[in-house]
Amino acid sequence: MQKLQLTLAIIKPHAVKNPVALSYIRQVIKNKFIVIKTKRLCLDTDTASKFYKEHVGKFFYNRLITFMASGCIDLHIMGHSNAIELWRLLLGPTSVYKGQFQKPYCLRGMFGISDTRNVAHGSDSLASAEREIKFFFPDFSFYKWHKNDEEFYRKGPIVFNNHLFQHVRRL
Amino acid sequence: MNTLRTLLYLRSFRVIHRSSYATTKKKIHDDSEEDLPIFQYPLSKSSDKRVYVWGLAETGALGIHLPRSKRGKKSYKNAFSLAWHPIRSSFGERFDVTEIACGYGFTVASIKTNEQHKVFGTGINTDSQIGYHAPRIGHPLEMLLSPAPIYIPYKSLESKIIGLSAGRAHTAVLTDTEGVYTLGNNAYGQCGRKINKNEEYKGSMVAHRISTLGKEVIINVCCGQDHTLFITESGKVYACGWGADGQTGLGNYENQSVPAPVKGDITSEKIVKVASTVDCVLALNDKGELFGWGNSEYGQVPMTTNQQQVNMSYALVNFTKGIGKIKDIAAGGSFCLIVNEQGDVFVWGYGLLGLGPNVQHAAKPKLIPAPLFGRNEFNPECVVDKVACGIGHLAAITNNGDLYMWGRNRHGCLGLGHSKDQNFPLRVAVGAHVLKVVCGVDHTIVLSKPFI
Repeated sequence: MQKLQLTLAIIKPHAVKNPVALSYIRQVIKNKFIVIKTKRLCLDTDTASKFYKEHVGKFFYNRLITFMASGCIDLHIMGHSNAIELWRLLLGPTSVYKGQFQKPYCLRGMFGISDTRNVAHGSDSLASAEREIKFFFPDFSFYKWHKNDEEFYRKGPIVFNNHLFQHVRRL
Repeated sequence: MNTLRTLLYLRSFRVIHRSSYATTKKKIHDDSEEDLPIFQYPLSKSSDKRVYVWGLAETGALGIHLPRSKRGKKSYKNAFSLAWHPIRSSFGERFDVTEIACGYGFTVASIKTNEQHKVFGTGINTDSQIGYHAPRIGHPLEMLLSPAPIYIPYKSLESKIIGLSAGRAHTAVLTDTEGVYTLGNNAYGQCGRKINKNEEYKGSMVAHRISTLGKEVIINVCCGQDHTLFITESGKVYACGWGADGQTGLGNYENQSVPAPVKGDITSEKIVKVASTVDCVLALNDKGELFGWGNSEYGQVPMTTNQQQVNMSYALVNFTKGIGKIKDIAAGGSFCLIVNEQGDVFVWGYGLLGLGPNVQHAAKPKLIPAPLFGRNEFNPECVVDKVACGIGHLAAITNNGDLYMWGRNRHGCLGLGHSKDQNFPLRVAVGAHVLKVVCGVDHTIVLSKPFI
């Protein structure tokens, strides 16, 4: 079995507020990935603008950060041998208005409302996944995880803890 | 011998019996029948209304009980319960429904009554957009599966609900004498009150009252996903809420927490209708001219500078030249839909516009052929009266009360009985004369009256 890759999934405020969409997305995450860590937090505009600093100057920058700061978001560190690509595949095209016709049954096609309110965020590369995970989980050591925990999450035995919404060691 | 006698007896009996049949003759038509009372089948009153619902029922937004077919050992947790066809709502039978509004996974409806409970809501309630409902104290419900009354502190029980509108997570209730009450999420100021960063919306009991705007009575209200637009008596438009796409039309891209008059070309006009579903806004004045602002990424509000976020209202009179006087407008997520006085439907923007099998972009208003809405040699007077838009789907009502829908079929919101996208307008099998259609994000509700 291949080594696990990590990615960060951010469930955006409008999907967190919709229990039907959230339970569907969580079901997908739970069944396709190994969930390492889960956190719910409410961003403020400053944190959001720091997180999206690569988009500074683009026309949608302001609406993206005001939207992300409008409510609570769910953060999941997820592991899979092909995590980054698989999560982006499950999410579907970034633009909801265009993507909903090409891929009607991806998450964004099913629950996206507009190009900004597009259900979830997924890291686009290994480097950005590391940067984003470190941004939201400052006490999560990438090095230590790959060295010590990766093998255990890959081989088990692990079970899913619904309360924490993450995989844990089976006792 | 005995048996023979009984046989003979039976035979003779039969003969007598048979002859008795033949001699009686019943009159076919009796005069006294005409005096009998004729049973009168019930006819509907003119005030009778019917409500039909369809789309995603999982959120409870339809307010109907749908038995789940796959319950049992092999049930899939993610098999949504959907209503593929229009289903008559029992709520509409119990009450006189006057107004309906659909938000993102929830529905509000107002009824004709002089009691406290004038507005009912059903569906997602994570931001208290349909009021506070807690069967146990301190445990407010996140989702309501059947309509429940919304408590609003009216000043007088005589006041009537004359308008309702719902966005992604907020509701606006318009009364005739007391102004507007807003409920739900205020993260962008869409409820028209001060933004509080740390406000907890779940289980909130706040109903904010906006009595007048600029000392004028509010006569209409329209919610986009995260903004709210008000029309006052003199035709002025006020806006509050999310302005990141310019959808508040205030000349900036900021959140607006107190309703302010929309700037630009409409300041001198008398606006009679505004339409907004997501982030693009269209407005119609009393002369039938079109104005627009907000999101224009797909050319909904075309600007000479190719600006994608229009933060002030602009007249679209040149853009709609040749169409004539416009009767009704609707703005979707990435397209706009209008109908002119002749009943011809025009559409522009991006999506499945009803112009053919391809998802396409139309930069100019394009006519959807009238025969698709039932106008032909046998029915030349058939015209489209009203139009409505969801995020990716479109709807039109003709003067015969027929509802046509097309576009993206998200969770069966077109009500055509299948999950495929619809390329051209197709009549929805609603068994009544459709008066009004309200499109939510993934469900649709129709207010109609019986045929007879």
